[in-house]
Amino acid sequence: MLSYTPDVPTREPESIHNVEKAFARGEEHALRAAYSQHGRLIYTYCRRTLDETRAKDVTQEVFISAWRSQHRFDPAKGTLVGWLVSITKNRIIDEIRAERRHSERRDSRPPAELAARAEIDMIANKLMIADALRSLSDRARQVVMLHYFDDLTHRQIAERLALPLGTVKSDLRRSLLQLRRQLEWDRD
Amino acid sequence: MTDKHPESGNGALESLLRSMETEDLELLDPPEEIWQGIEASIASDREARATVIPLESRRRTARRVLIGVAAALIAAVIGFGAFLTLRDDTGEILATATLAYDPASFDSLGAAAAGGANLVSHDGKLSIDIVDAALPSPGGGADLEVWLILPDDEGNVADLVSLGVVNPTDPESLEVPASHDPSAYFVIDISVEPRDGDASHSGRTILRGPLTSV
Repeated sequence: MLSYTPDVPTREPESIHNVEKAFARGEEHALRAAYSQHGRLIYTYCRRTLDETRAKDVTQEVFISAWRSQHRFDPAKGTLVGWLVSITKNRIIDEIRAERRHSERRDSRPPAELAARAEIDMIANKLMIADALRSLSDRARQVVMLHYFDDLTHRQIAERLALPLGTVKSDLRRSLLQLRRQLEWDRD
Repeated sequence: MTDKHPESGNGALESLLRSMETEDLELLDPPEEIWQGIEASIASDREARATVIPLESRRRTARRVLIGVAAALIAAVIGFGAFLTLRDDTGEILATATLAYDPASFDSLGAAAAGGANLVSHDGKLSIDIVDAALPSPGGGADLEVWLILPDDEGNVADLVSLGVVNPTDPESLEVPASHDPSAYFVIDISVEPRDGDASHSGRTILRGPLTSV
């Protein structure tokens, strides 16, 4: 069974941009807005790498520490979500190292569920992509998912969605460009 | 054309997309307590900042302001007080303090500042010498002022006294008023004070640290 458009709410890029600017200016309402926009992503990242208690602690610490060092965030240099994910990644690695040290003292066996750093990066990348997909139009997101998640060819997608083949191809091309921009993979 | 995976210079992104499943798009709702914790912590920061500002409270009751000293430090100073009584001779360094910047609640002018302070006994008088200091220029129309703070048991400001202004490039020795016992008023604070006619603490602390006996 092929998946169709999941329940992924779209969002307003402009409002995200405004929140980023307000956050950088230290306007407190922007912290609440940033949490509303990115709290689920950050918490999900923590839950996919840490147990529930530590995931809650780290999510909380990430937002507090980001807010306290808000002057270091420059919207001209990157997105707020990218900055938050990078703070979270470092905190997760700290947590896992601390757990490793603790379990090595307690028990000579390495802990069973320690994610490797590469895996932590991979989880972050996938979550960032999931987040960026929300910025696509419903149709473009559907085309991307049918192509990449469900392995449908351009023609199969065109038939499935009753779209011209050229539209499917241009949707895919534009979507990849937009995702790359959103993920800041164009900044190298 | 029905190619499934055209190479288009988006290799890494496409490869990641292909490795994803619909479940990867599902995000978990964080428990409400996380935001409550964030909000409480930010409110506490805000309270600390706000309560530092009207430090004319030195003549009133204690205000809640976190000064980064633990009860353990207060206990340590009890020993310092005894030491003070025994060693009240000339030119002795009785206690030292490392002054630190707290980005959460201090004025950003202090971000690159550092320094220390010595409590010195000389000819029966006590003074505070600011040492090894890298102090910022407070800019025109403002001075750097040194204070001694009396903390309460919870590390809040109970009272404070100004020792005077210091030259940032050559901080001089500042006499401790005989009316204020530095074993009680043992937290050193340096603030930026605009020349606005208001003698109370501006709330713009740049460095702070507790004295401990040598």
